[in-house]
Amino acid sequence: MLSSTSSSDSASAESGGGKPWLIAWLIALCLVAVTLGAVEYRWRGRDYRPTILDSTLLWSVQRDRVYAQSQTPLLLLGASRIAFGVDMNVMRELLPRYLPIMLAVNAHYPLATLRDLAEDENFHGVILCDVDSVGLLREYNEMQREYVQYFHRQWTPSWHAHRLLLNVWQAHALIADPAFSFVASARRWLDGAGEPFHNYIHFHADRNGDLDFSRTDAEAIKHHFADNLKGNIAGMPKRTADEWLSDLAPVSAWAKRINARGGRVIFFQSPTHGLERSTVDRLMPPELYWNRFAATVANSLDAVLEPSLNAFPLPDDSHLDYHDKPAYTRALIDVLVAHGWLQR
Amino acid sequence: MRAMQFDSFTFLGFFALVLAIYNAIPAWSARKWFLLLASYIFYAAWNPPFLLLLIASTTLDWWIAQRIDAATDTRRRKAWIVATLLVNLSVLGYFKYSRFLLDNFAALLGTLGVHYVPAPFDIVLPIGISFYTFHSLSYCLDIYRGKFAPTRSWHDYALYVGFFPQLVAGPIVRFTQMRAQIETPRRTTAAGLGLGLTLLTLGLFEKIVLADSIFAPVADALFNKPQAAGSALAWSGTLAFTGQIFCDFAGYSSCALGAALALGFTLPINFRNPYAAIGFSDFWRRWHISLSSWLRDYLYIGFGGNRHGAWRTYVNLMLTMLIGGLWHGAAWTFVVWGGLHGVYLCIERLIREQLATARWQQNAIVRFGYGLLTLLGVMFAWIWFRASDFSSAWLIQSKLFELSTLRAGIAASGSDQRIAVITLLALIAVHWLFRERDIKQVFTRLHPLLLGLLLAIMLSLIVLSPGENHAFIYFQF
Repeated sequence: MLSSTSSSDSASAESGGGKPWLIAWLIALCLVAVTLGAVEYRWRGRDYRPTILDSTLLWSVQRDRVYAQSQTPLLLLGASRIAFGVDMNVMRELLPRYLPIMLAVNAHYPLATLRDLAEDENFHGVILCDVDSVGLLREYNEMQREYVQYFHRQWTPSWHAHRLLLNVWQAHALIADPAFSFVASARRWLDGAGEPFHNYIHFHADRNGDLDFSRTDAEAIKHHFADNLKGNIAGMPKRTADEWLSDLAPVSAWAKRINARGGRVIFFQSPTHGLERSTVDRLMPPELYWNRFAATVANSLDAVLEPSLNAFPLPDDSHLDYHDKPAYTRALIDVLVAHGWLQR
Repeated sequence: MRAMQFDSFTFLGFFALVLAIYNAIPAWSARKWFLLLASYIFYAAWNPPFLLLLIASTTLDWWIAQRIDAATDTRRRKAWIVATLLVNLSVLGYFKYSRFLLDNFAALLGTLGVHYVPAPFDIVLPIGISFYTFHSLSYCLDIYRGKFAPTRSWHDYALYVGFFPQLVAGPIVRFTQMRAQIETPRRTTAAGLGLGLTLLTLGLFEKIVLADSIFAPVADALFNKPQAAGSALAWSGTLAFTGQIFCDFAGYSSCALGAALALGFTLPINFRNPYAAIGFSDFWRRWHISLSSWLRDYLYIGFGGNRHGAWRTYVNLMLTMLIGGLWHGAAWTFVVWGGLHGVYLCIERLIREQLATARWQQNAIVRFGYGLLTLLGVMFAWIWFRASDFSSAWLIQSKLFELSTLRAGIAASGSDQRIAVITLLALIAVHWLFRERDIKQVFTRLHPLLLGLLLAIMLSLIVLSPGENHAFIYFQF
């Protein structure tokens, strides 16, 4: 049925002398350098820039830091608005007692992460949880579960080291982006598709992102967001505001659990304007939704009601341009300090 | 479950460091201790507590092997071998099969009208346990059979079991293949390093470029949502998985061989162009060779092989393949996969026994046709290997034969499907082209200019295939 295996004994015997190998490897390395350099040069010439790419590994690097002792961990939870709205350098500069940690995930509402932190008895820090009435819908509860599960089940020191090295590679090489991969290029060629999308997001290793609206059509994004929102909510089972609120009992309990062990959870609603705001207010009026939820938790803040925060322009109705991030972050810190939730 | 993977920056850094320190240490004994330490660090990078299980298992088997050798009467020797079988298989059974057994027990009770729900428990499967258990078992069984005397050196034995290139996913090396290499001083040679890094590059190319970037997305599209697939995706997804499983596992094996060779060790080849097999017994001489030879030597021959008549031979063949299937994973789908291969082998044996070697069997067209039939049979069985459950496997199988929708599906297929299918065809052509040749010899005999060009293509494509790292499929076994 099966044959036996055999192994020859000497590596050198089967591979001959060393010189041919040296020549082959020198040729290979030279060709690789030229090829990769040419590909990098080609894409850079078309106004593409390298950026860090977010992943469960990058998230886990930050999740690992929530147990810091020397400073109070200040966790930023949420989706894109806080991930692209808060400037981490300003946070570090103005709040030296705290260790700002970005755990927000673009396009993923944060409740799964909040639950995980509530269940983690070793966490005693402060959480600024950016979520609106839509993000509190039960359909969105598990959006960040993949990240949480990865951290608990697969995260190891070895992957930590890998991700830190990958950050260096991604920060400097455009070809580290899968959009420019060999297979993606072959697919575009076969499909007759154009060049990759010019991304207006620039991501940093600390998981903070910059949106540069000069590189995109903000008006189109605005309508895309509003249409998406209407479509998503229309596709969900109809339920009353009371049912929505009763679903949130565990969320209040998680916050109480963290508060009880010396931490603090601040529920925060980032500012939105125009079409985005009017759509949410029409589908989920604040007096029936957000305000009632806010009454069940110790600390909450609606940025629309804070003139210093609401004054910033939002080109797509819900996100800041990166030029406004530092000033917005200073204003946000001022508001949080004024409420007594943070100390400078 | 993700250990330190060959396709990670961590491994590249780790390996460069190991290579440098290993060659800087003058004494062979100290170099071996260092390799063992490095191997244990490699293993602990996944889950440090399970390193204790590996060390305990290693120590126990090393000690029992000496007791077997020292025992003079047969009953005592048998008691020791039964003891080591019981311990090793119990540990493997607890971690790998307890959930499966409990679920099946509950289902059995359910058919008798008894409602039993097993208490939920979440057992983490120690990575590589199936591989290092088979290493240990082969060692003890060979001592029991009197094939060689046990080693007195714990650290030689521990290095045999724990040598990091092959620790978590094989090849399943026999002690006889490693003993001389561990006992005789060796170090990195220029030629060994050249060929070793070439094999490492080939392995990374197979894993990162072919398995993860080209085949996995198409296979996942089918197997993650079989209900949504049409006939064309059923075919392209099955073909893609056929490519993925080979490139993933052969890629790991190439990396293992390359890393070992760079350190001066030669591991046995684990794959020999399996998709150019002519017949199913030929396939198993080419696919996961170290496992198939293990199953032959310790199960098939242990059951009696072909020494007790035709009927027992077929039973032994089926049993071996069914157990081989179950070794891959605690699910009935793996048993079906093993069973299918058992049936293929039995039918092939039956036909061969009926038809004496005839001239037409050497006919090139007949051989090619049989090779094609073998490939189709292997592909068909892969559906059961990859499907998450019985119903998904049945569904995919039935969709393969929905020929009425196939033409429209092919016309509408995406570029990723077309790339995967063309790549698989190219892979099969390469297997046929190099059917009788050893990959190490192919690389060694290539002109340096051609080899440099080939390496440059592979390395460039590796770098130009960024993405999330996928765990090696065989890590879960």
